[in-house]
Amino acid sequence: MNRNVRALIAPIFRLTFVAALCIALTIMNENFLTWTNIINVLRQATLLVIVGLGLTAVILTAGIDLSVGGVLALVGCTTAQLLKSGLPIPVAVLIGLAVGTAVGFLNGVMVGVIKLPPFVATYGAKWIAEGLALLLMQGQIIFGFPSSYRWVGVGYVGPIPVPIILTAILVLAFDFFLTKTVVGRDIYALGSNRDAAYYSGVSVCKITILVYTLSGLTAGIAGLLMTARLDAAELGMGEPFLMQGIASVVMGGTSLLGGEGRVTGTVIGAIILTLVVNGLNLMGVPALWHQIVLGAVILTAVFIDLQMKKWAN
Amino acid sequence: MSSQPILEARGIVKQFPGVRALDGVNFDVRPGEVHVLIGENGAGKSTLSKILMGVIAADEGEILFEGRPIRLRSPLDARQHGIGGVYQEFMLVPWLNVAQNIFLNREPRRWKGLPFVDHRRMHEESREILSAFGLEVDTRLPVKHLDTALQQMVEISKVLSTSPRVLVLDEPTAMLTDREVSRLFERIEELRRQGVAIVYISHRLQEIRKIGDRVTVLRDGRYVGTVNIRDVSDDQLVEMMVGRSISQMYPRSRRAPGAEALRLQGFSVKGGPQEADFVVRYGEIVGLAGLVGAGRTELVRGIFGIDPIQKGELLIDGRKVTPRSPNQMIQLGVGLLSEDRKRFGLALKSPVHWNTVMASLRRHFPRGVVRERKVQSIAREYVEKLRIVTPSVLRQVRYLSGGNQQKVVMAKWLDTKAKILIFDEPTRGIDVGAKAEVHALMDQLAQEGNAIIMISSDLPEVLGMSDRIYVLFQKRIVGEFKHGEANQEKIASLMLGIGTGVKTNAS
Repeated sequence: MNRNVRALIAPIFRLTFVAALCIALTIMNENFLTWTNIINVLRQATLLVIVGLGLTAVILTAGIDLSVGGVLALVGCTTAQLLKSGLPIPVAVLIGLAVGTAVGFLNGVMVGVIKLPPFVATYGAKWIAEGLALLLMQGQIIFGFPSSYRWVGVGYVGPIPVPIILTAILVLAFDFFLTKTVVGRDIYALGSNRDAAYYSGVSVCKITILVYTLSGLTAGIAGLLMTARLDAAELGMGEPFLMQGIASVVMGGTSLLGGEGRVTGTVIGAIILTLVVNGLNLMGVPALWHQIVLGAVILTAVFIDLQMKKWAN
Repeated sequence: MSSQPILEARGIVKQFPGVRALDGVNFDVRPGEVHVLIGENGAGKSTLSKILMGVIAADEGEILFEGRPIRLRSPLDARQHGIGGVYQEFMLVPWLNVAQNIFLNREPRRWKGLPFVDHRRMHEESREILSAFGLEVDTRLPVKHLDTALQQMVEISKVLSTSPRVLVLDEPTAMLTDREVSRLFERIEELRRQGVAIVYISHRLQEIRKIGDRVTVLRDGRYVGTVNIRDVSDDQLVEMMVGRSISQMYPRSRRAPGAEALRLQGFSVKGGPQEADFVVRYGEIVGLAGLVGAGRTELVRGIFGIDPIQKGELLIDGRKVTPRSPNQMIQLGVGLLSEDRKRFGLALKSPVHWNTVMASLRRHFPRGVVRERKVQSIAREYVEKLRIVTPSVLRQVRYLSGGNQQKVVMAKWLDTKAKILIFDEPTRGIDVGAKAEVHALMDQLAQEGNAIIMISSDLPEVLGMSDRIYVLFQKRIVGEFKHGEANQEKIASLMLGIGTGVKTNAS
């Protein structure tokens, strides 16, 4: 069907963008197209992808979650402290995830029940989460975790790193949840037109709480993975993820106005960002220049994505 | 009246993605005449008016001003030629106040050449402009605090204050009450005498007869013809518009109503109706008449659990219910088709199929897993049944015409299998053909045993469709009529609070 084909234009284009980027990097550097490097890129992208999952759900409702970086750091630091104090790994992990989920839930209540603007509510939550992490850490860096904990960050199943497998499972689960379930469709409906969704019987309040809670949960999972990979936890660990997370979502074709987009796009967005950084590193471009290049790539990708959508309609 | 057109459009073609909005249309307007442009929704009226106002550019054809070809690249170009107008979309800045909006981009200066606004003069002149309409509005109020009718009046005042030589009005009365409409018509009459050329777009036959001189009919983007209004009958106009004659605008097959579906006793809603007593039975269409602001919409919002109820009772099938949310009321078998389909009815950027099931997903997929193919086939059934014109159910609803959008909203509520349906202004802003179809559908729904509450500002519609009619005035039900007892005068006078309607007992 003609229209089905048209709906594929933007996603196909995004994949082409990734492919073009890969080809360009291969030509410019012989070290790019090696198994080790590809796996390396994917593993680096995992954290951004996971943060992007919950963020996509929030942005689909025309909301925003500025607390993801703070939550990531808070969960990482909490779990690190608990592990250091000798708690069994499952208990420490569960408490860590519960903290992330709780911050997300509170975000949801602030936005859905108290009706604070999402920007303000989650910005406040970001400061509180970071402040709590500061209290916990007292300026220290914690390192040296049990190797069974570190396995989720650095381990392998066959040739594939554990974090990549874990991320793939999460992506599939989120995509199924958002596109194939009644609740997922409610999220899209809510983002397309909040009033119409409410009039149609969608529980706007519950759905809002749900998406922010999910965002807290995924930011928390990313926090755990990161501490496991770095074998360390520190205050600033969440810093890059907020803006890069939002950029991944938007580059993946999810509209900040809500109701439009998909987590598969977010995965592509995160991979593009990671590829660019990887390429810059391989080519030995000084880190001072990275931000400028990243900014330019984000703007170009979003601009072209919008043009593609316009054209598809 | 000079016979030389001041503004003329020849062979205008405009192509939008997927539709040819205008296909070789001719139009001209002379100083001192009101030239009406009519046609169904999607006929191309608004597109043509936007081309005349420089908002969009034509692909082909030429525009002549006083016999000389001109190019209109922007509304500013048009304004420099003395062409001004009001288009359907809201053009005011919501958080600026009334005076700031009226003088937007041409504020009076305190000192010539310096960028300091003379606020006192701006407010004074705004008050003068508005009082010409008999409007007493605080010019310091941000326009978002005004109701839609007042906003529309401010918008029209704004355009008139630029003293245009050609005035384009695109459905200016859609949001206005009768009193404001008659004020507007007085002003139009005045302007006509001053030699202003007026392009008036509407599909209300009664009003164009009141003020129009000539009428041009468009259908599906094509030029059908231009005639003197006095030379044609309403039936002929309708036939020109829809390309066929409509045998019955208000088809009703009347029969004895069934059991009581919904009853209100002393029902009071915050900011809405007070002490309302009201009954609707299965198989019945009950009309709710009243002016904008009389409490009609608030009444049904109360029933649907959107606005909190202060006191009184709501009974559904004889059982007491406290409405808390639309979700709860939908589960009790109530549906509300809201007056503002774009705001409360549709997800405009979503395709037809997802809109169709927006209120009924859980009914179709109780296990929580959605199959999109099934959703599409459900939507296809409604597209066929309601004759929704769309290339596919995957089409985003924003690309559909007003009448077809309204049918999608109807499909959504039909798909909930609601037994009690509330239609708030079901035919507002949709064309004659679609209107007749919506009416036929409502009649069919009543025949199938559903209870229908219909709010409408269109009195012929209320009279033609209702089995019983309640009249609201200033938040109170002031009268009730059975079909046949009512006529336009009785209801209108009650609506205005000047009649002494016999309030028959509801039960």
